[in-house]
Amino acid sequence: MIKTLRLSFALKNTYRVNGILYAIRQIPVVKKAVPAGVYQVHGFKIFANVLSALWELVTVFLGKLLYFLIMINGAMRLYGLPPETDPQLFLHLLVFLSAGGALLNTYMFNPTKDKYYAMILLGMDARSYTLVNYFYAVLKVVAGFGFCSFLFAFPKGCSLWQCLPIPFFVAGMKMSVSAYALWDYEKKGTVRDENKLSKYSWGIVAVFLAAAYGLPAAGLLIPAPVSMILMLLGAASGLLFLYKFLTFQSYRAMYKELFSSAPSLSVQLDNKAAIKIQQEQSYKSISADKSITSSRRGFEYLNELFIKRHRKILWRPAKKVTAVICALTAGSLMAFRIVPEFKETVNGVLMTSLPYFVIVMYSLNRGTSFTRALFINCDHSLLTYSFYKQPQFILRLFQIRLREIIKVNLLPAAMIGAGLAILLYASGGTDNPANYLILIVSVLCMSIFFSVHYLMLYYLLQPYNAGTEIKSGTYQLILAVTYIVSYLLLQVRLPTLMFGIMTIVFCILYCIIASILVYRLAPETFRIRM
Amino acid sequence: MEFIIEHLSKSYDGKRVLRDIDFAFESGKIYGLLGRNGAGKTTLFNCLNGDIRNDTGRFYFKTEEGIRDARPEDIGYVLSTPTVPEFMTGREFLKFFMDIHEAAIREPKQLDEYFEYMSIAREDRDKLLKDYSHGMKNKMQMLINIIAQPNLLLLDEPLTSLDVVVAEEMKQLLRSLKTGRITIFSTHIMDLALDLCDEIVLLNHGELETVDKSDLDVGGFKERIIAALREEEND
Repeated sequence: MIKTLRLSFALKNTYRVNGILYAIRQIPVVKKAVPAGVYQVHGFKIFANVLSALWELVTVFLGKLLYFLIMINGAMRLYGLPPETDPQLFLHLLVFLSAGGALLNTYMFNPTKDKYYAMILLGMDARSYTLVNYFYAVLKVVAGFGFCSFLFAFPKGCSLWQCLPIPFFVAGMKMSVSAYALWDYEKKGTVRDENKLSKYSWGIVAVFLAAAYGLPAAGLLIPAPVSMILMLLGAASGLLFLYKFLTFQSYRAMYKELFSSAPSLSVQLDNKAAIKIQQEQSYKSISADKSITSSRRGFEYLNELFIKRHRKILWRPAKKVTAVICALTAGSLMAFRIVPEFKETVNGVLMTSLPYFVIVMYSLNRGTSFTRALFINCDHSLLTYSFYKQPQFILRLFQIRLREIIKVNLLPAAMIGAGLAILLYASGGTDNPANYLILIVSVLCMSIFFSVHYLMLYYLLQPYNAGTEIKSGTYQLILAVTYIVSYLLLQVRLPTLMFGIMTIVFCILYCIIASILVYRLAPETFRIRM
Repeated sequence: MEFIIEHLSKSYDGKRVLRDIDFAFESGKIYGLLGRNGAGKTTLFNCLNGDIRNDTGRFYFKTEEGIRDARPEDIGYVLSTPTVPEFMTGREFLKFFMDIHEAAIREPKQLDEYFEYMSIAREDRDKLLKDYSHGMKNKMQMLINIIAQPNLLLLDEPLTSLDVVVAEEMKQLLRSLKTGRITIFSTHIMDLALDLCDEIVLLNHGELETVDKSDLDVGGFKERIIAALREEEND
């Protein structure tokens, strides 16, 4: 048993360490300092091992901390119930959420690559491998939930006796679900894959979720003693079902079946399979409508056919978002009539919260999906033809595409800008009429900025290789920075007039610089990555 | 006309894949490029096609008028996995290509004439390319690459995985196209190289070398090629 545990740890650690070293080699600048033979360098391996060990610790606690913080303690704040009901509400949420969570996350029925490597590729004994790793996973659950229970339940007024059964209850529920799934496999031959649950299982999860969050909203809480009894029963059932794990004999056959039918596993194991799925999905987005034609010529012809055949992924979402924004604006206008006090709040928000709209425009922008479709369905093939890489053609097509990406994104942006101006007017207006114009123009500018930004990145960094995989660490880093900056702007509180003018000036400057960069560099950089 | 490569080198992570290559290809010939797996055949093609930057060296055309650098329109590059814009029909792709090469194509023909030439059936011409079979995509790729009559045609295992009929059609086509241009044909199938090519060139140790066929029958020539390729393994 100890040997099996040691071997499985060594195996998991090896690919984790290699994964870390590979990731380090993808970071721009850093990769130049890291040799290709990094996998043999002792110092790097120690560093990666430390990170790997830290990650193991993180897996014990991080998910559980977030779960308690958001799903339980965070949700409790929303009900506004008197503090004396806190322990009861805490246990109520925990009991129902853990019951639902046990169906979603069993460890045993998650077809991961570590299990595949160990049991199938390396031929380890399936029963001992599964049992050792499963009990280790259960121990991690007990440790993580034990720690978090005390951390979060005590401040909510739960007693020691209420806290103690929590980790055993959660582990017991998971064990019960797993034992039932083993029994089900024996009886019917069907293997559970927790990444593709049946509608029946999702239905049960939905019922538990509704019971967890819906009942308190209706003022109904299960009494704390009942929660305690349920938790003890859950823990006891886990113990009772222990025999099922020990007596089950078909782990190897069951896992073979699970691996063979798990699409999530093929994605993890084989990058090519994942890419193939991605390509097929992308090709499916091409409209087969035979009435689509174009009367244009050259690159305008190419572009028009592309846009018309990709309406489903380009224009349809933009139109849907526009419709939702229309509905929200109309809804807000109605709310002004029903609850007049709402006007003042909205007016205040509109005058100071323009920075919020950076993340809104970031989320709504179709830039990355546009460039992905461009590459997979068009440039991936055409960039292999010499004629397509002639500088004048690259720049001509860039101009056309810039126009198109701006058009697609401008529709919802125009509606947001107009909607904000209407809401500002209807909520009491402003002393300075320039605010109306600033609201509209700055939202349009933000939209244009993101459109230019994504297309420029695509042309300057062309992140995809011939297999349509993203291979540019710099590209991914800049995408992450774009998100972080947009997110950080949520913290900014500036008058609309000031932030709006700053936005407009920044966007104009950015677009000019981006265009110059593309014109100078794209003929060299717009290539398939090798 | 000649296509001259001078001092062409390319390294990856310290490994020299192409080493100071010097070679002259003559117009009107099909060159069979042979080499072991990983010898650098695709790297050489990618350098010539401008897909990757070479570390050193240059390549150019030498004609009666003098020498000039290779331009993108000089090169046609046919890949083993045919890549065509999946969202267009065969006819649309051809029309797009003809539009942007309007000025360059000598004696343009009707689109259907090109399809006839490549034996692409009438009912397939208006289908989306994503619904074409591998062989049809390959024909389409070849058609686009030869219409503009490039001076240098690079073929990276283009007949692999084609059925025998299409493969034979392609061979005939390549023979008919060789006049007035340089064709470099990379393959792992030696019989195909011997059947189709006028010269056999080995990419060995990152360098190009011609295999001399003089006084040898087919069997002897094959043995010489294998011996030269094995030499690399024994080094």
